[in-house]
Amino acid sequence: MKLNRRRFMKYAAASSAIATAGSLFPGISFGNWQQVTGNSGIVSWEKAPCRFCGTGCGVLVGVSDGRAVAVKGDPSCSVNKGLCCMKGYHSVQALYGADRITTARVRKNGEMVEVPISEALDLVAAKLAETREKHGKDSVAMYGSGQWTIPDGYVASKLFKGCLGTNNVEANARLCMASAVTGFMTTFGLDEPMGCYEDIDNANVFITWGNNMAEMHPVLFSRMLANRKQRADVQIIDFATRLTRTSQAADKSILFNPQTDLAVANAICYEIINNDWVNWNFVNEHVSFHKGKTNIGYGTEDHFAFTDKAEPISLDEYKTFLEDYTPEKVEKISGVPAKDIKYLASLYGDPTVKVTSFWCMGMNQHTRGTWINNLVYNIHLLVGKISTPGSGPFSLTGQPSACGTVREVGTLTHALPHGVVMNEEDRKTAARIWDVPVENIDPKPTYHTVEMFRALDRGDIRFMWIQVTNPMVTMPNLNRYRKGAEKDDRFIVVSDVYPTPTTDVADVILPAAMWIEQEGLFGNSERRTQHFDEILTPPGEAMSDTWQIIEVARRLGFEKQFPWSRDDYIGKIWEEYRLFHAGAKHEMAPYTVLKKRSGVQWPFVNGKETRWRYNPKYDPACSNGKDFDFYGKKDNRAWIWARPYEPAAESPDGEFNFWLNTGRVIEHWHTGSMTRRVPVLNNAMPSSYVELHPDDAADLGVVNGEMVKIISRRGEIQMPAQIRGRGVPARGMVFVPFFDESYLINELTLDAFCPISKQPDYKKCAVRLEKA
Amino acid sequence: MPIFSYLAIPKNGAKKALCTELDALDHCEIIPAENQDVVVLVTETPDETAEEELQDSLKNLQSLQSLSLAFGCDTSEQQEK
Amino acid sequence: MKQPAKEFTTRLVHPTCCLVAAFLCMTVAPLWAAGDSMNFDNQGKKLFDSYRATPEQNMSAGSSDRNLMQYYELRQYPGSPPQIPHEVAPSFSGEEPECLSCHANGGYSQEFGKFIPVTPHPEQVLCYQCHAKPQTEKLFVESKWQSIATPRLGRSFLSSSPPPIPHSLQLRENCIACHTGPGAVAEIRVAHADRGNCRQCHVPDVQTTPIATFTR
Repeated sequence: MKLNRRRFMKYAAASSAIATAGSLFPGISFGNWQQVTGNSGIVSWEKAPCRFCGTGCGVLVGVSDGRAVAVKGDPSCSVNKGLCCMKGYHSVQALYGADRITTARVRKNGEMVEVPISEALDLVAAKLAETREKHGKDSVAMYGSGQWTIPDGYVASKLFKGCLGTNNVEANARLCMASAVTGFMTTFGLDEPMGCYEDIDNANVFITWGNNMAEMHPVLFSRMLANRKQRADVQIIDFATRLTRTSQAADKSILFNPQTDLAVANAICYEIINNDWVNWNFVNEHVSFHKGKTNIGYGTEDHFAFTDKAEPISLDEYKTFLEDYTPEKVEKISGVPAKDIKYLASLYGDPTVKVTSFWCMGMNQHTRGTWINNLVYNIHLLVGKISTPGSGPFSLTGQPSACGTVREVGTLTHALPHGVVMNEEDRKTAARIWDVPVENIDPKPTYHTVEMFRALDRGDIRFMWIQVTNPMVTMPNLNRYRKGAEKDDRFIVVSDVYPTPTTDVADVILPAAMWIEQEGLFGNSERRTQHFDEILTPPGEAMSDTWQIIEVARRLGFEKQFPWSRDDYIGKIWEEYRLFHAGAKHEMAPYTVLKKRSGVQWPFVNGKETRWRYNPKYDPACSNGKDFDFYGKKDNRAWIWARPYEPAAESPDGEFNFWLNTGRVIEHWHTGSMTRRVPVLNNAMPSSYVELHPDDAADLGVVNGEMVKIISRRGEIQMPAQIRGRGVPARGMVFVPFFDESYLINELTLDAFCPISKQPDYKKCAVRLEKA
Repeated sequence: MPIFSYLAIPKNGAKKALCTELDALDHCEIIPAENQDVVVLVTETPDETAEEELQDSLKNLQSLQSLSLAFGCDTSEQQEK
Repeated sequence: MKQPAKEFTTRLVHPTCCLVAAFLCMTVAPLWAAGDSMNFDNQGKKLFDSYRATPEQNMSAGSSDRNLMQYYELRQYPGSPPQIPHEVAPSFSGEEPECLSCHANGGYSQEFGKFIPVTPHPEQVLCYQCHAKPQTEKLFVESKWQSIATPRLGRSFLSSSPPPIPHSLQLRENCIACHTGPGAVAEIRVAHADRGNCRQCHVPDVQTTPIATFTR
C-alpha cells in the first residue's frame, strides 16, 4: 500500500509539472514519459526499414537506455523521404506488449510448460528427425513468411531443400504475392517490377486496380496526391469493387462487379486496337502473342493439379479473341458503363500521357490472378507504356520482405534461391553453393500452401514449423485447417513474438526476436534490399528465426552447412546468398554497402542501382541494341496473353446472395498481432465490423453497430454492422477486415485458388446475411 | 517522505548537461521535454535532512538557470495513520 | 502558475444563448444529401478536395496573428460553435455569401487588418443557425457552467510520432481549413502543409468511454 501510494504521489507530481509546462509552453511534448521514468532522455537514432508493409519506408528508431522510444521517417531514404504512416510512427510500441513471449514453451500432458530454449530446440530437432524417419522426408514442412528476413528464408531453404531433401518449404506470401510472381514470369520471364517509386513523380495518370492505396500504401498514395497538387496534368482513377478513401481522393471512381476486371481489361485492349492506339513500333519489335489453357478450374478439391501450356498465336488470332470483349458486351457482365471502359482505354491509348497502373491484393487474391496480371501487362504492352519513368504496370507488395525473402530467396515449394527445382542447372548451382550432394535436391515440387495445410489435415505431413506468420487466422476455409493442425499426431512448432490463434495449436512455442532485435535484411516492392542492425537486445530467451533454424540444423548434423558464428552470421549468410544472383540481371549489393545505405535497388551493377529494367538507358543487362530488351524470355520479347473472362469459384445465388470481400484497414497490419498491441492503433480501431451498402442495411433492417449474422457454406459469424464508415461496398456485397482474431472471417472464406499461382481468392465467395 | 516536482529551465544550450547533472543526483528523476528547453524534475527524499542536502546540490548546479515548484507533498504524516 | 482551463471557464460571458445555438447546430445541421455515394468515412472526400483546391502558398503561409487562448475564448467548451467576435453590418442576414465571402477561402481582411480564419464546413450556409453574435457581456444570472479541459496539445504517443486528432471530426472533417494558412491559430498550424493525406499519420483519439487494452 505504502509503495503504491508513494508511486501515485510521484506520478501526480510529474503530471502536475507537465500540465504546468503545457500551459507555459504551448505544444510542449514529453512523449511517452510514464513508461520511461529514470530514463536519461538521451536518444540515439538508428536506421531500419519499417516492420510493416511492402512499401519499405526507411525509419529512424530512437533508442534510449536500451529501449526503443521513438520513430522518425528517414529523410535519406528515397522510398518515403522522411514521412511514415500511423503504423510506422508507432511501430516500436509493438515491441513492448505485456504478453510478449520471452521463453520457450513445450506441450506436456496437454499443458504448455516453460522450458529453457535449448531443451525446446532439442525437442524440435528430435521430433523432426523422428517424423522423417517414420513417415518419409516429405512428412516434415516449414511454413514461413514475407516477414521473414532474407537470412531467415535462406537458411530455411538451405536446411529443408538442400539438407533434408524435401521441397516442403512455403511462405504466407503464397497467399499474397504468388499471382504477381506467375504474372511476371509468364509475361516477362523474370519476377518483380520493372519500374520504381520514382514513377509516381513522373506519371500523369494513376489507375488503381482494386487497390485501396490510401489505406494500404498510404505513403505512396500521399506522394501521388502531392504530385497531383504540384503538377496540373495529373489524375487518379480508382477502379474497384468497393468505395474507399482512395475512391474519395480519386478524380474518378469506377465500380465493377467482382471478377469482371478480366473482361474490362480485355475490353480496354479491344478499344486500343479498334481505335488504332497501338504503339506498332513497340509491338512489332518487343511483343509476341500467346494463349494458354482455358476452363482451368478452382482447386477446391484435394490433390488438384494443373499445368498451363503456352501456344503462340498470331496478332489476328488475338484480335479475333478480343471480339468477345467489346465495351458494350463487357458492360453487361461488369456493370461498368461502356463509356467508362472507353474512357479508361483512351487514357492508356493517349500517346502524350504517362500511365502507371497500381495493384495489390485485389488482382492477386483472385482465382484468375495470373490472368488478370497478364491482362494489365497486355494493356501496357500494346501502347508501349512500360519500363520508362512514369509509365508502367506496378505490382505492389503487402509484406516487408515478400519480395526479398519469398520471391528472391525462393521460399516456395518449386523455387530455389536462383531458378526452380525442376531445372537441373539450377539444382547444380544450389548444391554447389550449399555444399550438399546434388541428389539431395528433389526435382519435384511438393505442396503449395493450401495443399500443404490439406496434407497436414490428411496426415501426409506430420511435422510443421511455422515462423513469423499466423495461419490460424489467415487460412481460407479456416475450420478445416485448424482441425487438421489440432489432430493428435501432428507436431506443430511456432516461432512468434506474441500469443496468437496459431500458438494456440502449437506443441512447441519458440520465443522469437522481433524486427530490430536482430540483424537482418528485407526486400521491398521496388527491388530494394534494406539492411538493419540489431538495435535492441531481444527480451528473455528470444532468438532470431535464423538462429533457431541454425540451432536445429546443427542438432540434425549439418554443422558443415551452417558453420557461422553468432557474431557475424548475417553478413556471412548474405555474402553466400549473393552468389546465387551474380550477373547483371540480378546482382545484389555487397553487405558493406547495404549496411551503410537506407536500402539499395538491384540489379546493383558496378556500384549503380537499376531504376528501370529492360530499358538500356537505365539497365546494363540490356544487350540487343534496341530501345528495349525483354531479356527474361528466350525470344527477347514480352508476351501478350489471350486470357478470357471466367466466373469466380463461388458467386452469389438464390440462397447465398451476397459477395463476401475481405481486406485490411490503415490502423492494423494483417492479423493485428503486433498493431493491436499498439495503444493508439488499437484505440482507433478496436474491433472488426461488417461493412454494408446503406440500402442493403436498410433492407436488412440494421443500423450502425447492430449485429449481423454472416453465413457461408463453410461457417458463420456475428459482427457489428458499419454503414458509411471507412468504405462502402457495392450493393450485394459485404466487406470484413480480417485483423481481428475475435471475428475469424476466414472460417467463411473459400479455399479456391488460381490454378497457375495457387494463390487463394479472399475477395470473393458467397454468403447470406441475417439480422442477429 | 517529501515529494516535489519542478520545472527546471537550463542555461542557454545546456539542456543535455542539465539532464546529465540532475540524473547523477540521488533522489532525482527527470522527464526532459522533447521540443523545448524544459526539464521536469521529480524529487523524493527520505527525510528533511536529505531534502535540505538535495536543495543545496540543486542550487549549485552550473547548468541550471531557474527552478520553479509545481507540486509538493509530504507522505510521512499520512503513513502514520 | 496560471491554469489555462480555469482562465477559460471564468471568461464565459453568455453561456445560455450559445449553448442553445450549439444544440441546434448538432441536431439540425443536415448531413450531405443521402444520395451522395462519397458520403462516408467522416466525409473524407472533403479533405482530399480541399488539399487539392487550396493553393500551396495559402497553406504554408503563417501570420501568428491568433493564438489558442483567443480561439477558446470564443467557445463555451471545446468543440462548441464559436461566437462571432467582430461587428457585422446591420443588413447582415447570416446567409451566403456574406459570411462565406470571407470565411470560405480566408485571406487578408483590410477592414479588420487581420487574416481571416477559414470555416471547415463551407457547405453549411446558414451561419447564424449556430454562430451567435453577442450583444452584451452582462449575464441574466451567474452560471455554474464548467467546461471540460481543452485537449492538450502535442500529446504524441512517442516523442516523434504524429499527435492524434483530439477532437471529433463531425463538422470538422476538413483539416486543411483550421490547421494551415495565415488565418490558422499559431499553436495548431501544421509545419508540413505540403501533405494532403492527413489521416495517413494522425489517428482520431476521441475517447468517450475507455477502450480496453487489447488482450487475448
